Amino acid sequence: MQSSQNMRKFYIIVVNVIIMAAILVFVVLYSRYENVGSYQRQIENFESTTVTMEHVTENYLEGEQRICDVWARYINSKDMPIEEAAAYIRSSHVLETASAHLISLDTLNGLSTRPKLGTTDDYVVSYQRLGLLDDVNWIDDLGKSINITRAFTNPMNGEQSLAFCNKVTLYDTESGKAKEAVLLRVIPISELEEKWFFLHTELMNAELSLIDSDGDYILKGYSFKNSDFFEFYKSYNPSDPESSRELFARITSTTGSLSMNNSHGEECILAYTPVSAASGWTLLGLVPSKDLRVRNSNWVLFGVVSVGLLILFVCDLFHMLYLNKRLQIAARKAESANKAKTDFLSTMSHDIRTPMNAIIGLTAIAEKNPGDEQSTKEILRKISLAGNHLLTLINDILDISKVESGKLSLSPLTFSIVETVENLVNISQPMIKEKNIEFSFHINQMEKEYLYTDQLRLNQIYINILSNAIKYTEPSGSVCVDLREEKSEKPGCVRLTYIVADTGIGMSPEYMENMYTPFSRQVDSRVNSIQGTGLGLAITKQMVELLGGTIDCQSEQGKGTTFTVVLDIPVADRQREEMRLEPIDVLIVDDDETLLQTASDTLASLGASVEQAGTGLEALGMIEHRHLSGRDYDVIIVDWKMPDMDGLETIRRIRSEIDANVPVLLISAYDWSEIEDEAREAGASGFVSKPLFRSTLYDKINDLMGKESGSIEPEDDYSDLKGLNILVAEDNDINWEIISAMLSMFGITTERAENGRICVDKMRTAEEGSYELIFMDVQMPEMNGLDATREIRKLDRPRAAAIPIVAMTADAFSENITECLNAGMNGHIAKPVDVKLVIKEIRRAKRGRGL
Amino acid sequence: MMRKTICMFLTALMVLGSASCSSGKKKAKVEEGFQPALDTSVKCHIRIAGGYDNFEALETEIDRFNKYYPNVELVYTKVDDYNNMIGTVLNGNDAPDIYVNYSWMYGREQYKASIDHAENLADPALGLDLGCIRKNIILNTENGTLPMVPVFSNTYGMLVNKDLFEKEGLNIPTTYKELVEVCSAFRAKGYKNPMMGFVQKETTSIFSLVNYPYFCGSVANDAEAVKKLNSLDASAGEYMRPTLEKLVQFVNDDCVDLEACKAIENNYDAVILRFFEGDVPMMACSGDTVSGTKKRESRSEAFIAKPFAYAFAPIPVTDEGSYFLDMPNLQFSVNKDSANLAMANEFMRFLITTPELNEMAQNKGLMSPTKDLSFNNMYAEFGAVPESRILSPEVIGLTDDAVIQLRMAGYLVATGEMTIDEAIENYGSFTS
Repeated sequence: MQSSQNMRKFYIIVVNVIIMAAILVFVVLYSRYENVGSYQRQIENFESTTVTMEHVTENYLEGEQRICDVWARYINSKDMPIEEAAAYIRSSHVLETASAHLISLDTLNGLSTRPKLGTTDDYVVSYQRLGLLDDVNWIDDLGKSINITRAFTNPMNGEQSLAFCNKVTLYDTESGKAKEAVLLRVIPISELEEKWFFLHTELMNAELSLIDSDGDYILKGYSFKNSDFFEFYKSYNPSDPESSRELFARITSTTGSLSMNNSHGEECILAYTPVSAASGWTLLGLVPSKDLRVRNSNWVLFGVVSVGLLILFVCDLFHMLYLNKRLQIAARKAESANKAKTDFLSTMSHDIRTPMNAIIGLTAIAEKNPGDEQSTKEILRKISLAGNHLLTLINDILDISKVESGKLSLSPLTFSIVETVENLVNISQPMIKEKNIEFSFHINQMEKEYLYTDQLRLNQIYINILSNAIKYTEPSGSVCVDLREEKSEKPGCVRLTYIVADTGIGMSPEYMENMYTPFSRQVDSRVNSIQGTGLGLAITKQMVELLGGTIDCQSEQGKGTTFTVVLDIPVADRQREEMRLEPIDVLIVDDDETLLQTASDTLASLGASVEQAGTGLEALGMIEHRHLSGRDYDVIIVDWKMPDMDGLETIRRIRSEIDANVPVLLISAYDWSEIEDEAREAGASGFVSKPLFRSTLYDKINDLMGKESGSIEPEDDYSDLKGLNILVAEDNDINWEIISAMLSMFGITTERAENGRICVDKMRTAEEGSYELIFMDVQMPEMNGLDATREIRKLDRPRAAAIPIVAMTADAFSENITECLNAGMNGHIAKPVDVKLVIKEIRRAKRGRGL
Repeated sequence: MMRKTICMFLTALMVLGSASCSSGKKKAKVEEGFQPALDTSVKCHIRIAGGYDNFEALETEIDRFNKYYPNVELVYTKVDDYNNMIGTVLNGNDAPDIYVNYSWMYGREQYKASIDHAENLADPALGLDLGCIRKNIILNTENGTLPMVPVFSNTYGMLVNKDLFEKEGLNIPTTYKELVEVCSAFRAKGYKNPMMGFVQKETTSIFSLVNYPYFCGSVANDAEAVKKLNSLDASAGEYMRPTLEKLVQFVNDDCVDLEACKAIENNYDAVILRFFEGDVPMMACSGDTVSGTKKRESRSEAFIAKPFAYAFAPIPVTDEGSYFLDMPNLQFSVNKDSANLAMANEFMRFLITTPELNEMAQNKGLMSPTKDLSFNNMYAEFGAVPESRILSPEVIGLTDDAVIQLRMAGYLVATGEMTIDEAIENYGSFTS
């Protein structure tokens, strides 16, 4: 497998390299093609420049020859003696460097217009030794052509020169006859060289030469070697005689260019063109080939493409390796996740089947023993427990599936944190009681009762952490909850810090690394015996993050765990009116110093005068002392569980030994329902659960003092519900039966609407005040609950717009709740229904109507 | 492992790619030995003047010099009527930096400028390796200065067709007796002209080539005779007698067919092309003529059709052996008024070394002035001549006028226009 992957990788790299190589080859070939094209254009340009130079040369030669012609015509027309002719030309000189020689053909001696070097009056000049005028047939008749000599040494000054010539006739004073002579207009070659070069900067190394039909140089550039061009060509460009002859014929008769080597063996371009003004002459231009080649840009192109491709290749390579690595990691994760899910499904199968087995089994047992009331009650209790566990399990599964799909969203609403905590304590009590765990719940500075967030999620977070702490704490261990309100950095928010510390089994560092991963459960024999989905922490973490908070965990195996959740929660607009007790004296009795202090602070902030007692005996002393002094406490608050003398005993002794009438409140962090009767018998005036919220204390004390409290709800008195009529929209017969039976237990009558349409019709036709509220199922045939609610709200009847409509549905997600509220409903109860919640909603509706 | 292989492959690819686009231009190999003394980036223009129409051997040296000084432009310029014009040229606007000079101009008023403009090349500060040149041809002025150094030397001798000698089983003669025998042997084998030479004029005629070395040998150690001969006094004519008698003997020994030799029109092209016909075992000529052989090989259809090996050897004029007449051919001077004197001297320092002088001589086809002649097969025979038989006319001190008397006398006697006695009597009266 590994070998196959390597081979595949190798092939990909090879293909990449081949593509790169192909691109580079293309670039090189294209560059060369472009170079060749550019080179050809440069050669053509050089040719045309040489032709231009030929025109320049021709103009120059013609100009100089014309001057010579003018002189010759004048001399010929006057029968001048040589001296007179020389004097005439001397007077016509314009150029400092030019001179003229008049040479008699019979002696090859004559006169110069300028004196011999180093003299001032020696004008005699001889051409006898130059071999230049031995044969003058090359000099055409006047005005016919350019007659120019080869380069020669001017016998008067030794300068290398050229001469434009004409035959002239002079008057011989000695013989009295005419004599033939040659007029030479002599120009120094240095003069010519200064003017005769290529102007183009790119041709700065180009040189010119002028040759005659034999190849002899008339003017010779530096790079042109040998005495004649043909000899030069043959010396450095070997070729057979026939080819050479053809080549030379071409050079001296046409315009063109060819490649040849110079004396350094360097490749050059020779451009040639005939000089039309002088028969047989050819102008040659020679330039090194490299000057006509432009390679730099191609090099840059090649370099850039090479480096670019290399970088691309390396980047791709590393990126590919990186992606492969990531894919491997992802594959491993997916594999691990799959395994976890498989394990989870296996666990779930087991976990779901266990309570289901209990429900089905117990139901079967109950059916067989219908007459045994005691047994049936016990079975039904167990079925209820199993059902609740199954419900938790299903909720967790649904939540984690939403977390995983990223669909978990918030549905914020105004809620009471006091109720939330009460609910939290209530839910925990059965487990605490069952496991006999020491439990304490401290609150601190809880001033804002109503907050605005997703209460459901907050509850889940708090319950999950607390239930975990209780679940993993062994009997006789302790769980301590601390909830405090602090100032938040976020405007309009309070910071709630929720700390749950237990003395449970703790967690291993290895497990802590993955404890927020879904489906993970610590491998521990003690843990395996505890029911759980392995989803709680994952859901909690996700929800804390969703609410913008943090979760932290400190744990040591065998010693316990502390979870800290910090959340910034917006404060709701609605708050309770200012709470202020009348000036009263309150004694609070508890062995928990923290509670004593926080409760004292809370009561003091409510305007009470507070005294504290750490034990029952101390309290008795203080009460007696007050009693004897005639200043009895207005209220005494006693904790239930205290060492030495518990709360019940303390109350009993207060009643029996000191004062039978003073109001005494019994406080407890535990479920006091079982001791209710005993406490009332002992003389307790009322009960209050820990933690002691400001509002709770305010309400309870006011209640004891005989004052009306806004939020006090009757707990076991359901007489207020009798006679209420409720419309229930429910398509399912069993559900209808359950809710109907449930409500009838409280003296509430119900009417059924089988679907949304019927419900709307009933509301349309019913008399005013027929229904206290409507419980509305959502998923129903014909018309669903949401549409029905919208229709009802649209009805042209006053009650239809105001009647409380509470959703009663199995759609339990927060967005379902939001959807219901948006449709015009007033509340939401998830199926399976909790009867307490149902009663709560009914009472709320009743209060809202002012009944 | 695979990654390493890929890296190597990529590196190789990039290197190949780079190499494929390189110009392939290699840095010029710099000759070892010569060490530039000046800034090698300097730009200047050096003119070298001479009488040759073209001087390709010098241009080759210029190219070699340009490897050290790439920006120095050296140009050879031919000056018309060189000997007469060089003085004017040196005084004019086109004065060269280096120019060809001749030691025979020493002491002659009309060539004074050519000597006066010359820098003293014996100055040790210039660093010239004069020790590489044969002493015979380093010619100082009377006051001890050295205005010029030879870059080529000249001598008289004969071109020998080595293939013919080998074919006929004969050796190149080293004594006069052997010469006569070889000629006889060739003639016997059907060669009509065992030896030929130019005879139409006295200048470098075969007669001069034979009698001049002999004559130098006869007066080399006789200062009195040289003095008299230089005075052109008629009585000095007697010193020519042995030489003229030897010349008559040479003619009478049937070594050459004078009638056949008359067909050779000049002492340069015609001599060479006749030799390239391939049927002449020996062709008398000067070193100057030998320098033209290489170029003319391609111009001779006979030689192209049937090439052969040849060499230049001294003519054995005595039974004791040959004389090697060692003469400077071309000498270089540096214009002491040169605008680029330092670079002109640098070029001379580069040129006056055994390898460069030998290289230039070989390219020109002339005899090198260095002590080592073995490098060139053409002149190797002269390297075998014992030092005692190497003669330098300049050292002997014979003037040109005295030599002209001998040349004319010899020509007239050899051609039968004058007897030996008449020629001796007329010594001092001959004109060129």
